[in-house]
Amino acid sequence: MSGRLRLPDSRWARIALSVVNVVVFLTIWEIVAKEEVINPLFFPAPSDTWDALREGFADGTLTDALLWSLRCFAIGMVAAAVVGIPVGLLMGSSPAAYTLLSPYVWAMASLPRVAITPLLVLIFGFSQMAELVLIFLSALFPIVINCMAGPKTVDPSLLRAGRVFGASRLALYAKVVFPFTLPFIVSGLNQGLTRGLVGMVIAEIFGGNDGLGYVIQRAGETFEAPTLYAALFLLVAISLSLVQLLRWLEVRVAPWRNQSARA
Amino acid sequence: MGIEDAYITARGVSVTYRRQRDGSELPALAGVDLDVARGEFVAIVGPSGCGKTTFLNVVAGLVPASSGSVRVDGVEVTAPGPDRAMVFQDYALMPWRTVEANVRFGLEFQRHGLSRDEIDARIREAIELVSLTGFERAFPYELSGGMRQRVGIARALVGRPRVLLADEPLGAVDAMTREAMQGDLERIVAATGLTTILITHSIDEAIALADRLVIVSHRPGQVREIIDVPLPRPRFDYDIKAHPEYAPLREHVWDLLKGEALGAKEVEA
Ligand SMILES: Nc1ncnc2c1ncn2[C@@H]1O[C@H](COP(=O)(O)OP(=O)(O)OP(=O)(O)O)[C@@H](O)[C@H]1O
Ligand SMILES: [Mg+2]
Repeated sequence: MSGRLRLPDSRWARIALSVVNVVVFLTIWEIVAKEEVINPLFFPAPSDTWDALREGFADGTLTDALLWSLRCFAIGMVAAAVVGIPVGLLMGSSPAAYTLLSPYVWAMASLPRVAITPLLVLIFGFSQMAELVLIFLSALFPIVINCMAGPKTVDPSLLRAGRVFGASRLALYAKVVFPFTLPFIVSGLNQGLTRGLVGMVIAEIFGGNDGLGYVIQRAGETFEAPTLYAALFLLVAISLSLVQLLRWLEVRVAPWRNQSARA
Repeated sequence: MGIEDAYITARGVSVTYRRQRDGSELPALAGVDLDVARGEFVAIVGPSGCGKTTFLNVVAGLVPASSGSVRVDGVEVTAPGPDRAMVFQDYALMPWRTVEANVRFGLEFQRHGLSRDEIDARIREAIELVSLTGFERAFPYELSGGMRQRVGIARALVGRPRVLLADEPLGAVDAMTREAMQGDLERIVAATGLTTILITHSIDEAIALADRLVIVSHRPGQVREIIDVPLPRPRFDYDIKAHPEYAPLREHVWDLLKGEALGAKEVEA
């Protein structure tokens, strides 16, 4: 006995272990909550949370909030990607563009997003636009900064090889710089997603009248802990599936990176 | 210098770099003269930083000469061209491409007028020449260093260049594989009739492969001496180190290089 916790090798055994893990956790939680060891006002039982989730979907309140959040998030993210990727690539490729834009990019990137929420509300009122802009700004700068790193760090000997074998400037960009940069774009999107999600929740909690953030805020004010937990659960679900998706994409886009990291 | 029917002629090639940081000038090459005959194998040896890579880059058309010029088959070099291919010390393979696709890279930007089938046949042929058949779908990260460089050589050969420029191609390969690959290189060059310029830090490798050795001085590089290698070919069929010419030749080159290395120290001091 080494005393070290060893995970089973088979895939199914590991899945079974995870299920057992979660079931045990929820059972303990259920018992602790039902015994009211902790104040039920902010510590509802999983079964109550589950009921709140089902009711919310049945009467449409959670469905609407979820769809609103997802729609805003999608619009803000797509806009951030459409703007951020080209700007980042340009800044990484052109020293002039970098010199011109980098002070603003770094300043905005280091500014905590919560701090500009009041300003956005001032400009856009309690509108969807305020939320969209906050998601956009939250996701934009991580994307720009990551995309910028791609062309900047491209292996010079790959460029040399490209030129020796006759690639034009354009071909060099398409066949060497861009593929090299692809994994950087994916990590930019990955960071952008998490930051954008934070932006979304902040906007909905502080400004909006819709979305999961609003549900959380309302549930908090009206002491509806199960509903609050249900909304949190949905946020976790969104966040986890997006991160998993991006991780999958990362492996697909740059298998050599993961491989050499593992070796 | 001055061999008849030279295929590559370098005349007074000088390169002075301008440092980005402070704008100061750094002379890397100072008037290199060199003739290489068609089908000849020349090895360049010299102290580190003496401008060997710079010279190869000038021949490749990657770096312009500050003064002087290089002609290949009578045509002045101004840019890279399909007549010259290069093999790199760090392989410079695209990590996102399979072996097959990396080899294809050597043809991708050329106006060769080949059909798809002909291109595929060329790629197959190049992969076979470097004994990598069966690894077409592998990615570089799945290969050993020696195998990666075989891909690099296949990529250089697939476009059927006339000149092969190799910058320490086996420098990062382990010693065992290295000797085997030297044999392969000799065989490939003989089979294709390539005119070859090889840069190496290994005197043994230079003697084993080259028809002539070019000893370059410390920076700024100049041709210090050109030495014929009188050993019969193919050299990997016998133990060249046992050949009576081998030891004196090696010692002579070693003495020259030691002198240049000491000279380089004095310049730095
Ligand atoms: N792009 C560049 N800009 C400025 N200086 C350079 C550049 N490339 C090379 N140098 C300098 O020129 C000199 C010659 O470099 P080069 O790479 O040609 O030497 P080398 O003989 O190939 O050296 P090594 O044996 O270490 O490969 C070195 O001092 C190097 O620092
Ligand atoms: Mg070098």
